[in-house]
Amino acid sequence: MKNFNRLDAEQRRAKIYNIVSCIVICLIAFTFLFPLYWIITGSFKTKTEILSSTPVWIPSEWVMTNYENLMSKRSAPLFDFTINALKFNLFGYVFTLGETITITGPTVPAAIRWLVNTVFMSVTSMLLTCLTAAMAGYVLAKKRFFGKTVLFSLIVCAMALPKQVILIPLVREMSALNLYDTIWSVIIPIVGWPFGVFLLKQFAEGIPTEMVEACRIDGASEWRTFTDVMFPMIKPGVGACAIFTFINSWNDYFMQLIMLMGTKELTISVGIATMQGENSTDFGILMAGSALASVPIIIVFLVFQKYFTKGITMGAVKG
Amino acid sequence: MANKKVQYSTKQRRLVIHENVTSYLFLLPFLIFFAGFVLYPMFMCVYTSFFDATMGREDIFIGFQNYKELFQDEVFWIALKNTLVIVVVSVPVTCAFSLWVASVISKMPVAATSAFRCIFYLPVVTGSVAVTMVWKWMFNNYYGIFNYLGKDVLGIMDKNVNWLGDEKYALWCIILILLTTSVGQPIVLYVSALDNVDKSLVEAAEVDGATPKQAFWKIKWPQMMPTTLYILVITTINSFQCFALIQLLTSGGPKNSTMTIMYYIYYSAFKLYRYGYGNAMGVILAIIIAILSAVQFKVGQEK
Amino acid sequence: MKKFIALLLALVMVLSLAACSVEKAPETTPTEAAPTDAATEAAPTEAPVEISLWTYPIGKWVDEATVASLIADFNAAYPNIKVNVEYLDYTNGDDKVNTAIEGGQAPDIVMEGPERLIANWGAKGLMVDLSDIVPAGTYESVIASCTSENGEIYEMPVCMIAHCMAINRDVFEAADALQYLNEETHTWNSTEDFFKAVQAVYDAGHEYVGVIYCGGQGGDQGTRALITNLGGGTYANAEHTAYTYASEENAAALSKLCAQDGIAFDTAIVASDEIQNFVNGTFQMAFCWNISQEVNNADALGFDVLPMAFPSDTTPSLQGGIWGFGVFNNGDAAKIEAAKTFIKFMTEDEAQYTKAVEATTFAPVRDVAGIYATNELFPEYSLMSPMMGDYYQITLGWTQARTEWWNMLQRVSATDGSVDAVLAEMTVAQDAANAAAAG
Repeated sequence: MKNFNRLDAEQRRAKIYNIVSCIVICLIAFTFLFPLYWIITGSFKTKTEILSSTPVWIPSEWVMTNYENLMSKRSAPLFDFTINALKFNLFGYVFTLGETITITGPTVPAAIRWLVNTVFMSVTSMLLTCLTAAMAGYVLAKKRFFGKTVLFSLIVCAMALPKQVILIPLVREMSALNLYDTIWSVIIPIVGWPFGVFLLKQFAEGIPTEMVEACRIDGASEWRTFTDVMFPMIKPGVGACAIFTFINSWNDYFMQLIMLMGTKELTISVGIATMQGENSTDFGILMAGSALASVPIIIVFLVFQKYFTKGITMGAVKG
Repeated sequence: MANKKVQYSTKQRRLVIHENVTSYLFLLPFLIFFAGFVLYPMFMCVYTSFFDATMGREDIFIGFQNYKELFQDEVFWIALKNTLVIVVVSVPVTCAFSLWVASVISKMPVAATSAFRCIFYLPVVTGSVAVTMVWKWMFNNYYGIFNYLGKDVLGIMDKNVNWLGDEKYALWCIILILLTTSVGQPIVLYVSALDNVDKSLVEAAEVDGATPKQAFWKIKWPQMMPTTLYILVITTINSFQCFALIQLLTSGGPKNSTMTIMYYIYYSAFKLYRYGYGNAMGVILAIIIAILSAVQFKVGQEK
Repeated sequence: MKKFIALLLALVMVLSLAACSVEKAPETTPTEAAPTDAATEAAPTEAPVEISLWTYPIGKWVDEATVASLIADFNAAYPNIKVNVEYLDYTNGDDKVNTAIEGGQAPDIVMEGPERLIANWGAKGLMVDLSDIVPAGTYESVIASCTSENGEIYEMPVCMIAHCMAINRDVFEAADALQYLNEETHTWNSTEDFFKAVQAVYDAGHEYVGVIYCGGQGGDQGTRALITNLGGGTYANAEHTAYTYASEENAAALSKLCAQDGIAFDTAIVASDEIQNFVNGTFQMAFCWNISQEVNNADALGFDVLPMAFPSDTTPSLQGGIWGFGVFNNGDAAKIEAAKTFIKFMTEDEAQYTKAVEATTFAPVRDVAGIYATNELFPEYSLMSPMMGDYYQITLGWTQARTEWWNMLQRVSATDGSVDAVLAEMTVAQDAANAAAAG
């Protein structure tokens, strides 16, 4: 009976703790919500209200001027591809296969193109990273091969390396490959960043080795083992890797800043920066652009959320 | 590799070769990107750190001169100290805070959990430039919200504090903003880790009369160790590389009180064109982070 | 789902393959005899050349429509030279240009001022000498600032401005402080009267009359001009080889600013924040001002702005800005020639030059009749031009000197503000800047 009382008191205390924590978390949640709220409402304010020294919580007058400025000040084609003619040089004779085709989309406000670029960049780096990282992570976790320890140490070191340091060699490399000022110069270093491999290796280690071996004994090829057994099991990890890569590349401001130059190559955050004058920040354009940019990424987050709820076990299976 | 000396039979040798070949085939797509665009620049960075490299002229080999200068550079030590303060404060706080939030919100109804998880992730997805701009406004000396609350509403301050302009507070403001932009991911991970804890163990413990607190620390916490380890590693790396906040808010000031290694690297290389010097600093920073990550790993894995 | 992902992956692969074959810029056409001056007349028959022009936000040279119209004029005359314009901002522009230079991707033409074109990229030997296209005698007033130590001209000047300060005229009027200045000439009666005016506005209930911003280098020309004019000292020597601001006079002026009611130091803001606070009425003065600021903020300004020269006991010496074109040496004679052709086109013909200058909103660097005929603000601001002082921003080690300056102000704000303490901090900064200047 006494024991029961102690438990009762303990439970009551736990309940109070829960209620208090809920309230505190709600309060903190407000400070987390605030920046986005401020940006979205701010993007509809007049210049006077944006610069006002007394906070204007809700715009007294909702205006579209900032969005109009964002859309009207720069323009770019919606998309453009150049596919070069293939040229062969056989015994001194030059054969040309096809012709150089340039497809240019309709001219749209540059902000739209920047959004397209940003989405393309993030989605491509996400897909490429997931694919390469899943394959590499599987091998690093489940196979024994020459140079494994060295490779893994290099991966850990590279993860720690500040990007600012490798930037100048990287720019030289990209320009030698004719990739400077293309969206690929931003995508490729993200895919090379070994973080996804590190993450998925941790995941793959949690998968019982017997399962992989059983599959092999059944005569499945290496590739089948990977696609049919390994990949489905590390899927939550791949989901996590996907969302982190997507968001990291979306926010990889510095790399985009340095690598991209042309109006039609820019991403949204870098693009907005080029619309600022000397010693004056157009907060209206900044907020309108940021509001536009945050919508797609929030959608992605909501869609991919279920991968988290399905269960990230982070190698916990092996105990 | 440990059993190199063992004599393999032909069949075994063929198996080993096969294993190596398939391993590298699987690694190949990643290795192309990794070796070409991370390892090679990394190597170049180490190489350049031995040169007096600047814009517009050939690099001059100077051996360890950059490193020598680095250790005598007062600003470098300030930057190192500030960086370590950021790491030492923000890593445990981020972990503890996100664990606490996760433990509270995971008990809520599914919709609420998912809403809160999303809210705490918002600063991550809104983009650093925009979030920083809002925080700068909140910290504003003249009409910022913190001064307004502190002076006019709560009355705990008698005059405006220039949060970002005061050596005493600037670094802490940076840490606070860093915190809001970095707890999103740990919270998401902890919530799912809590969901995945073996329920039968927890129930068994409760039947045995364990309090919720005991059940949490004795049963759930050990099971979440791998998640914690992962969070520790990524938060450490993130805090070390805190750059955008400094660049956008304080440029390392006032009086170098928010100067971090990352910013100092950027400043040396991009403002003073001392590429070699900046790279030497980068090498040192990478070594420090790598050692720390390795230690965290060892400790985490032993547990 | 699996199929969908597979499809997406395949798509990405195809796209990446396509991208591999994407050619960034057409291969530089082998130079079949670089066009000579005489040949430019017959330009349309020549091989097409593509050049890039990167511009910092100089007035409306950030506005696509304005720039496109100028390029269209050029292409009407030279249809075979394609000009790709890209826009830089002052916050990140330097980083972009510097990495582009390192990657061998520097633009052909860049529009900026001597502090970058001469003191920075020019001093590193990256620019093309433009002596052959700068007409002798036309730009006498500014050409010295566009010339490097070795006598080569790296900038074709286009426009200039004398950076000034501004006051909130309404507030000054209400505080009866207009008596301390001359509204006709836009000058202060004396430095003494400047402090009296600040005191009067402060006494009228305005806590922040003027703020010495030192959170970074943005707009530091304002604080430099304020202190050197108040003190009557110099910033650098006349030969532009060393910094000289750590003088008794300048220290006394800064010390007096420290003690003055209504003048505060803010180590968290830069000029753009200062201007924002001036525009919304928090500050009553702005030390970083010019015509462009008034144009940009026109729809948010709720009061009458009075542009003013910096307070001085002699003639004010205002900080100048001289913007123009520089050409990067990218090793391609055809492109250099095309770049020169472009610059000549923009600056030679008076009508075209007027159009190019009006796009900057700043003053021309040579006499042009009827420029800004319809501009209401221009006459007021053009009064500042004759007060333009020495253009010392081409002193060597300028980048480091700038950093030293705002760091010095931050340190001064933490001292007791005595002349000795201020002078000590100034000397530390100056020594570091001079060390950088010496190489």
